[in-house]
Amino acid sequence: MLLVQLLASGIQTGLIYALTAAGFALIFGATRVFHVAHGATFALAGYAFLETADAGLAWPLACVASLVVAVGFGLAMDALVYRPILRHEGSFFTVFVAAFGMVVVVQSLLELAFGRSFVAYSSPLTRATAVLPGLYLAPVFWVAILVTILLLVLTGLFLGRTRAGVALRALSENPELLRAYGLSARRLSALAFALGSALAVPGAVLIAATSGLQPSIGPHVMLISLAASIVGGIGSLRGAVAAGLLLGVTESLVVAVLDTQWSEAAGFVLLFGFILFRPSGLLGQPVPR
Amino acid sequence: MTAYLLNLATLAAIFGILAVSLNVLVGYAGIFSTAHAVFFGLGAYAGAQVALLVTPDVALASLAATALAGAASLCLALPALRVRGEYFVAASLGLQMLATTVFTQAQSLTGGIGGLVGIPPPTLLGLDVSSPWAFFAVCLAALGACLIGIRLLMRGSFGRSLMALRDSESAARAFGKDVARLKTLAVAVGCALAGLAGALFAFQEAFVNVESFTLEQSILLLAMVIIGGVGTLAGPLVGAVLLLLLPAGLSFLPFIPPTDIGAVQQLIYGLAMTLLMIFRPAGLAGRPVGQR
Repeated sequence: MLLVQLLASGIQTGLIYALTAAGFALIFGATRVFHVAHGATFALAGYAFLETADAGLAWPLACVASLVVAVGFGLAMDALVYRPILRHEGSFFTVFVAAFGMVVVVQSLLELAFGRSFVAYSSPLTRATAVLPGLYLAPVFWVAILVTILLLVLTGLFLGRTRAGVALRALSENPELLRAYGLSARRLSALAFALGSALAVPGAVLIAATSGLQPSIGPHVMLISLAASIVGGIGSLRGAVAAGLLLGVTESLVVAVLDTQWSEAAGFVLLFGFILFRPSGLLGQPVPR
Repeated sequence: MTAYLLNLATLAAIFGILAVSLNVLVGYAGIFSTAHAVFFGLGAYAGAQVALLVTPDVALASLAATALAGAASLCLALPALRVRGEYFVAASLGLQMLATTVFTQAQSLTGGIGGLVGIPPPTLLGLDVSSPWAFFAVCLAALGACLIGIRLLMRGSFGRSLMALRDSESAARAFGKDVARLKTLAVAVGCALAGLAGALFAFQEAFVNVESFTLEQSILLLAMVIIGGVGTLAGPLVGAVLLLLLPAGLSFLPFIPPTDIGAVQQLIYGLAMTLLMIFRPAGLAGRPVGQR
């Protein structure tokens, strides 16, 4: 039964990783920007939810506040950091360092504002009850599954069926052609950042309501999104989702064999293995060398 | 006051070696490693163990540290040969996270969270170099040797091949350069020197634990190289001195509570990294490099 319990908690974490990594993959797929500051978006969204909920706002409204902060930060990164650098034909290196710098900035700001310790939002959703003898699940488990599936289906429909969605997918392939069709690459890129950042919100809220937040969640989520998008195949939405789940479940199951200390490390062993032996990931294109 | 300044100067020399060694990877070979603190840590643990178990001789401890870090650099060279750009960054991040866990868990080798304590005062070939001035001189000499060594190496055919490789791998390959050998060598040199810095650090602090070898340290080292200017000899040194002086300088500002100094310091160097990339991507002392 311990294994099933671990598997369940692995799935719950995995779904949060999957959604977050999907946001990262959506942004990368459309704009070719390796948006490592996605981790900072996640942290800011989580704290926005916690702080507004603590201040007495009803939780749906707190979710809206979190959404506003996440989308705002994503758009600001695009407009104020990435665009200026890419206009000067900055390299991958330049973009990466700039985004990395912002992850550090956001983490230290959160530390200054809210301290370094864990904070969590307690709600009846997180109270675990025995589903079977020895298997405890909280309502949040089902919420995580429902929300993730719903959002992934909606994102898939948007990308596949709407004009803006198709244009978004075409953006990285041929921006010139889009311009010929009267679509603004600038606006489409903003759309990608807004959507991708919005996908960080449910995960941030769920983490805030379950294991709690700490300023270092930013770099942590940055690492997870990075790992998931590489294991899944860079820029592939479906791959990112599969890899997010795989990472969450691996991290959780390792606890059955080794100390909890090793759970995060196990995810990175997986990542390292993929980079050495299958750099194109689960569902990705072959890697340019 | 003198003791304080001398400690700071010695640390500046040690972090100077680290920044300069990371620059061999980032600036000359175009290998963007976020795992440099791992090799610093391996060197520190190796140096500390030699001093604790065998002899407090700096030369011997440094040799062991350099050899271990150099050998372990294969962990970084392997992914560097297979992938680049985003993929390599992710691989080195993975290596860093893995190493942090191993450092914390391998109780018998690293002392776990508590670390290794009571590292004996250093000697050098029978001479006592445990006084702050003497040890500062040792570290300064090591830094000088690293600078001269790297300058000679980079001026020579190895350095020119490396930079050709950084600027265009396919062109370098077309000219018959052995890309795999060049990259592996560059990684080995950079990581081995980080190991040397680790051994010196262990003697200077007389205590090592995992706190000094985490992702934060790797980011700080990268920030030193980037803020100073990649691909130059002086840039990383400028960056190392600036970022080491930062917390000391901040502690003189009365309106920052001492508990917040760490966060304010991070805030400043994070901001510096982002703003430099937007307005002056070559760093304070640098010229543009790092193109894919």
